[in-house]
Amino acid sequence: MGASSENTAQKSPLPSKDKSLVEINGLRKSFGSNHVLRGFNLQLGENESIAVLGQSGSGKSILIKCIVGLVKPDNGELKVFGKNINDLNQRELDRMRMEVGFLFQSNALYDSMTVRHNLEFPLRRHHLSKTQLEIDSTVEEALDDVGLLHAIDLMPSELSGGMRKRVSLARTLITRPRVMLYDEPTTGLDPITAREINALMIKVQRKYNTSSIIISHDLASIRMTAQRIIMLIDGINYAEGNYEQLEHHSDPRVSAFFE
Amino acid sequence: MNHTSQSVSILLPRSLREFLNETGEVTRFGIRFFKDGLLPPYEVKEFFRQCFEVGYRSLPLVGITAFIMGLVLTIQSRPTLAEFGAESWLPSMVAVTIIREMGPVITALICAGKIGSSIGAELGSMKVTEQIDAMEVSGTNPFKYLVSTRILAVTLTLPLLVVLADAIGLYGSFLAVKIKSATSFPLFWNQVFEKLTFTDILPSIIKCYFFGFAIGLIGCYKGYTARKGTESVGRAANSAVVIASLLVFILDLIAVQITDFFFEL
Repeated sequence: MGASSENTAQKSPLPSKDKSLVEINGLRKSFGSNHVLRGFNLQLGENESIAVLGQSGSGKSILIKCIVGLVKPDNGELKVFGKNINDLNQRELDRMRMEVGFLFQSNALYDSMTVRHNLEFPLRRHHLSKTQLEIDSTVEEALDDVGLLHAIDLMPSELSGGMRKRVSLARTLITRPRVMLYDEPTTGLDPITAREINALMIKVQRKYNTSSIIISHDLASIRMTAQRIIMLIDGINYAEGNYEQLEHHSDPRVSAFFE
Repeated sequence: MNHTSQSVSILLPRSLREFLNETGEVTRFGIRFFKDGLLPPYEVKEFFRQCFEVGYRSLPLVGITAFIMGLVLTIQSRPTLAEFGAESWLPSMVAVTIIREMGPVITALICAGKIGSSIGAELGSMKVTEQIDAMEVSGTNPFKYLVSTRILAVTLTLPLLVVLADAIGLYGSFLAVKIKSATSFPLFWNQVFEKLTFTDILPSIIKCYFFGFAIGLIGCYKGYTARKGTESVGRAANSAVVIASLLVFILDLIAVQITDFFFEL
């Protein structure tokens, strides 16, 4: 069925179960007759960075949307910070979401707000900063981290693709999440900007000690940012390992991705 | 039971099934507004911002249309009334027409076009570009923040727009009367209010709340439930206008029947 057992011994050591930030066991999700996830498993430890690789439509984005409660799984166990997502009420879910950053593929910046207001939005909603001075300094620090302090009063429509991605990353990081979920972070960007985004992802991971799940097709990006790769094929963990292990995998369905 | 509902769904034509399904979804959306949207915490700042967007920004269009409506209605009605020697009835006839029917319906139709399409396109675009998902992930209830504030803003500001449109329309009528006769401003208003009664004004104001609710609800529903793809944004805006306009006429028909039943027009 899958090839995951082949690499189990060679994988980088997994965090102990009680230290898992995200723990997924037997996750299933179908849309009508389309069975997207058929028992997917994942464990994300502290300061760990995992990439999920798979074909388009294989359910990678659905997987991370399940983690933040945007999509309800049909079956399986999904724990974030040790709590089962299905058992959380709306308030608990919102509190959990504050600790999970989600970088959308489309950036999802609010069109009608300036960069400043985009970043202020989560702070004001959750009263994370008390005074305007605190809000201003938090926003400026977040923008400084991504090198876009000069764009603070611009509208999203005035930004380039790479700048929009960086602002989106800054907005996601402003609540200091413990786990970052990246949905195709470098798709549609030129190689230089993509490298900058990758470097930024590594920088924020080190600076804020975040753990990450990265959904991507970009092998260069995955090689640079992920410690461990999970191949999502046929809705299951088809293979796991680091970049080199999977690149030379004996299963042609796995190695084909790296050709 | 299940077997019966399956048989019924097979018997019904596809278009009718889709219509019934859509009606059910809109009803559920409306119920969600009353269940979630009207409970605390309230999005006060966003509500007032929407009132400004919906009300203040629609004022020039509504005002110009109402002015022309009053002017044209008076000019067109004069020859018929003159034939019967009833020209002096012109101000009161125009006033009753504008306040009972033309003011609310024309203003509601303009708002269905302007506000309904703008809400449908804005929310549709937010849905397609994952902004609504981003809001939810950041721990904000997007239904409360985006939908409830808009529906409430349109519901509460449309009657105000109609009152202003009525006043501007009557002023347009006064100018049309003034062109052909030496009627003074106080005399015109005296003739206007001479024939206007409580049963002319109150039902027309009440039905405006329903018009506003329908426009806000349909605009938000179409935008919020837009599917992926830029094409769906245009479709959401377009269908918001068409359905909201149709609903305005249907609600007007119901309102007239109810008013007639209670006040014998």
